[in-house]
Amino acid sequence: MIKFFEKDPYAPIQYVYEIERVLYKGKSDFQEIMVIENPYFGKMLILDGVVQITERDEFFYHEMLTHVLMHAHPNPRNVVVIGGGDGGAVREVLKHDTVEKVYFIEIDEKVIDVSKKFFPAVAAQVDNKRVEIHCMDGAEFVKGRNGDIDVIVVDSTDIVGFAKSLFTVEFFKSVKDSLSPEGMFVTLSESLHFHKDMVIEVQEAMKLIFPVVDLYTAPLVTYAGNWWTFSAGSKKHDLRQMRREYRIDTRYYNDEIHQQAFLPPKMYEKLMQRKLQW
Amino acid sequence: MEKTPDFIKKRTWNKVLNYIASSDEIPPYLLIDKEVVKEKISTIGRNIRNSRVFYAVKANPDIEVLRLLNVLGAGFEIASEGELQILASLGVNPERIITSNPIKTLKFLEKAVPYGIRYFAYDSTAEVEKLARYAPGSNVYVRLSVPNEGSEWPLSRKFGVELEEAAELLLYARKKDLQPVGITFHVGSQCNNVYNWDSAIEKAKELWETVEQSGIRLTTLNIGGGYPIHYTKNVLDVETIEKKIDRAIGKKFARFAPDIEVFIEPGRAVVGDAGVFVSTVIGKARRGDENWLYIDVGVFNGLMESIGGIKYVYIVGSRNEPEKWTIAGPSCDSFDVIDRDVELPEPEVGNRILILSSGAYTISYASEFNGFSIPKTILI
Repeated sequence: MIKFFEKDPYAPIQYVYEIERVLYKGKSDFQEIMVIENPYFGKMLILDGVVQITERDEFFYHEMLTHVLMHAHPNPRNVVVIGGGDGGAVREVLKHDTVEKVYFIEIDEKVIDVSKKFFPAVAAQVDNKRVEIHCMDGAEFVKGRNGDIDVIVVDSTDIVGFAKSLFTVEFFKSVKDSLSPEGMFVTLSESLHFHKDMVIEVQEAMKLIFPVVDLYTAPLVTYAGNWWTFSAGSKKHDLRQMRREYRIDTRYYNDEIHQQAFLPPKMYEKLMQRKLQW
Repeated sequence: MEKTPDFIKKRTWNKVLNYIASSDEIPPYLLIDKEVVKEKISTIGRNIRNSRVFYAVKANPDIEVLRLLNVLGAGFEIASEGELQILASLGVNPERIITSNPIKTLKFLEKAVPYGIRYFAYDSTAEVEKLARYAPGSNVYVRLSVPNEGSEWPLSRKFGVELEEAAELLLYARKKDLQPVGITFHVGSQCNNVYNWDSAIEKAKELWETVEQSGIRLTTLNIGGGYPIHYTKNVLDVETIEKKIDRAIGKKFARFAPDIEVFIEPGRAVVGDAGVFVSTVIGKARRGDENWLYIDVGVFNGLMESIGGIKYVYIVGSRNEPEKWTIAGPSCDSFDVIDRDVELPEPEVGNRILILSSGAYTISYASEFNGFSIPKTILI
């Protein structure tokens, strides 16, 4: 059986997957897109040589990326999903009946098409009438809004960048300006095993802009380092507290997970003081 | 991709980003890193024996910059009642103020003399007469013209006299009951040619010896400014320049050495590196085969020196591939073009654009031409 060797330039570990079949291989204006089938994970979406989602475990990631903030917010109506062309985050957001509109901002239209074709269960809600798709840069989209967005979900590893730069500072600033007074923002922020310093940098950069910044984690089996972090910022509310009842259908996230996903306060403090030694 | 050059200190860069992130201040504004100013003012003069440093206020007369320098114990070089007024409001001791502009206004002298300023430059008989009348008995030093080769901003023939005339002017000052104490020269701004100082010091020594024969023993060797800073090119560091200057003085002035006091008048070298302009991209255009970028700081409201050939380093937070840009200011004037052939990743309108090493001769030159306001200076 042929094998797929993952090319994650930042991970000190390399994952190898067996390939039963290559279902799709193509190139968009932005990246190389590949869909393969693996005996354990099922279909896998690979962008520029890095595994994005697999049929088997995508719910861990998509549920944790969205539902924590969707429950911390008292009434999320307008939501922006940046990246996440597979549609998984959009699907999860639409499980909440408060949602009136999801702005789905994916720069690479081709990823949406590939996902619709090969991952219909993930892209299930992409054509929902509450979804408005914009094929553009997410940083540009948020710049044009003014204070009407309740939750912004960044489902992309590269939009934030993992060093403090003029780009991230400007991006976070325009995210904040686009949010309503109770608005919240979340982004995936690397592994706590491999890239602690990057996690700290993202947290520090966010703290300059959001009054409330926090960190929660989830076990993601196909992302190098597995113990992945989500960095979240809020203009008003504490994110650890749920403000809405848990009533949706999920497989990993629930009200109990919401409580335990955040880093324990003392551990968080140690992390930020760079005192976690590993 | 956004690239940060390595000549800007990580600490300064962090402070700049933190300020942009956490402040609601609307650009354009000029950020000045206090730590850099502090470091520069304590470095300059360290390698020249018996020296005193007088910050050239014209480089950046912001009151907070002056307040910081005053606390750090610097002296000041000024030329006008406006500059004096700021120093007076800070209570700067007149012993720490000198005036090196060879032609002074009466208005200025009327304020400077009662304030207690005692050191004045000159290079004409008319000025001797003016000083004798309005600043009787004061210490005066003559401005010698010296070679300016290799400085990026050579000074014109506006000021300075040759040896013979300088000697006559020193004698004339004595005759008018002024105290002829020394000389001053200027090797040219942004001077990267260390031999300029060497030949200037040689020329000064000749003058020293000439007037000694007439019984005038000079003591003040004012070497002016001219220390270069990094814009787009690497430059000699202050330590290297000063060690050469010190060696030259030690050698050429061996006979006078114990009595010589060296005055240094750095402006650019103190505040230039410390400044970062925070500006905004206000427009883009493709004209012929040129990409044009319009930003809200231009020739008239801060970047006047770009016309004289200073090339700045720009940073934009864009993840695009670099292209060549012509950068222009916000005014309607076609003169308002700051730079050409600048490699930058394409930014969006509304993005910030940062301009490095812009702490000196920027705000102090700015006007409100065309109604564009003068950017604020903020110390970080």
